[in-house]
Amino acid sequence: MKHLTPINKKARLVDQAVENGHLDEVVAMQVVVGCASTMDPGWEVDPFGSVAALCAPMEADLYGCSDPCWWPAQVPDTINSYPDWNAKAASAQNDWRALQSVFPKD
Amino acid sequence: MRSRRWISHFGGMFAALLLAASPVAAKDYLLTGAKPDKLVLVDAAARKVERVLTIPGGGVAPGTIVPSPDGRIAYVVSNHMGSVSGIDLDSGKQVFRADFSTGDLRVRSLFGMDVSPDGKELYVFQAPVRMLPGEYRVEDTRIAVYSTADGVGAKPVRLLPAPRRVAVLAFSKDGGTLWALGWDLYGLDPKTGAVKETHKVLNWTRANHSPPDVLDIWPQFEQAATLSTPYFTARTDLAATDPGAFRTGLMTLDLATGRMDMRDFEDTSAVIFSSVVSPVKRTEAYSVYTQLTKIDTDGGKLVKRVDLPHTYYSINVSSDGKEVYVGGTACDIGVYSTDTLDRTGQVEIAGCPDQGIASLRVIRR
Repeated sequence: MKHLTPINKKARLVDQAVENGHLDEVVAMQVVVGCASTMDPGWEVDPFGSVAALCAPMEADLYGCSDPCWWPAQVPDTINSYPDWNAKAASAQNDWRALQSVFPKD
Repeated sequence: MRSRRWISHFGGMFAALLLAASPVAAKDYLLTGAKPDKLVLVDAAARKVERVLTIPGGGVAPGTIVPSPDGRIAYVVSNHMGSVSGIDLDSGKQVFRADFSTGDLRVRSLFGMDVSPDGKELYVFQAPVRMLPGEYRVEDTRIAVYSTADGVGAKPVRLLPAPRRVAVLAFSKDGGTLWALGWDLYGLDPKTGAVKETHKVLNWTRANHSPPDVLDIWPQFEQAATLSTPYFTARTDLAATDPGAFRTGLMTLDLATGRMDMRDFEDTSAVIFSSVVSPVKRTEAYSVYTQLTKIDTDGGKLVKRVDLPHTYYSINVSSDGKEVYVGGTACDIGVYSTDTLDRTGQVEIAGCPDQGIASLRVIRR
């Protein structure tokens, strides 16, 4: 192992695991990393194939969908990864301008 | 002189005793949540917010709310679905708290929660994930049972195995069965989690119909002691373009008898999120999304439908059955007559914080 240099985070974890005798705990991921408590389309198109039956206005649905991670990856995940994304924007309709894009830290 | 003073002294005491012995009659209050960390108590008849209480360490949004049977404490899931807090509605103090995650086990509560009818145990559906050095390992879902008397720092007194995807928990009136709405409606033994009986929902065997689609995360069963939720199904023996090809119905579970019914009431023409049954007319139900709908569940038909000014998620009903309250999503609760479906009032939460998926409950105080 001493001739191999880790160049990403996962490889460094493997290195550490070897050093600490925990190699067996580093396995291939079997789940999708992310946050989606359900797969339930209803944001882009309604059950009738249109947009008329989506939540009205869109802001009525924003936090009800994003805070419990209702659909995947449309907005930052406030359950685990970006817990404070909408902390300063309690009213979607009035405060949406305060919502920011997010970027991975690593 | 002396006798007059005696009479006025004892008369005053007697009057005071009378006042103490006859408290103000209990009335309906609505209980809901608002971002980021608020519990909101509303005087229903006055259409006024009575008080706004803060959930300590509440995170960005309150979720499922369960009132204690005596209406004095509100248990609310908060802290990014990672904790449950019990707030005393009079003092505003946190009198109960359980944080779910421990060590490398990250635990979230996805919607299902209820309290036993005697108020002594709180049942919380939980989804745990073990955070290992190079892997997230999804663990089996469970229902954590807490003793409400354990107060702040409570730990589960037992863990019940639970099927995945349980989004509503509802105790039977006698406390002997904990109903869990997931793929099917499971009647669990609250002591062991054993499935005593199952009412088929997703796995129904209805000829020529697709499995029903149910979306329900709203506990709104307390007024009529009936759990209800809309469902949608497709006729597999009709062309998709046939107006009768898609049907909307209502599932109802009587929490006293355990009897469950699924009855269509219209060709699907509107999306419906949640519903509530009238406490005074058990064959009448109301449902909400961007329209308010009145349903005759006995005859299986739509009675009336009106447009709402915006989408609402949740709905509950007054104890006298005369009005419904629509809530969730934004910052107002609409009040509608159950007779005419006219809008008769509304309650605004100051500062307009969103209610989102917070439950809308009715309590008597």
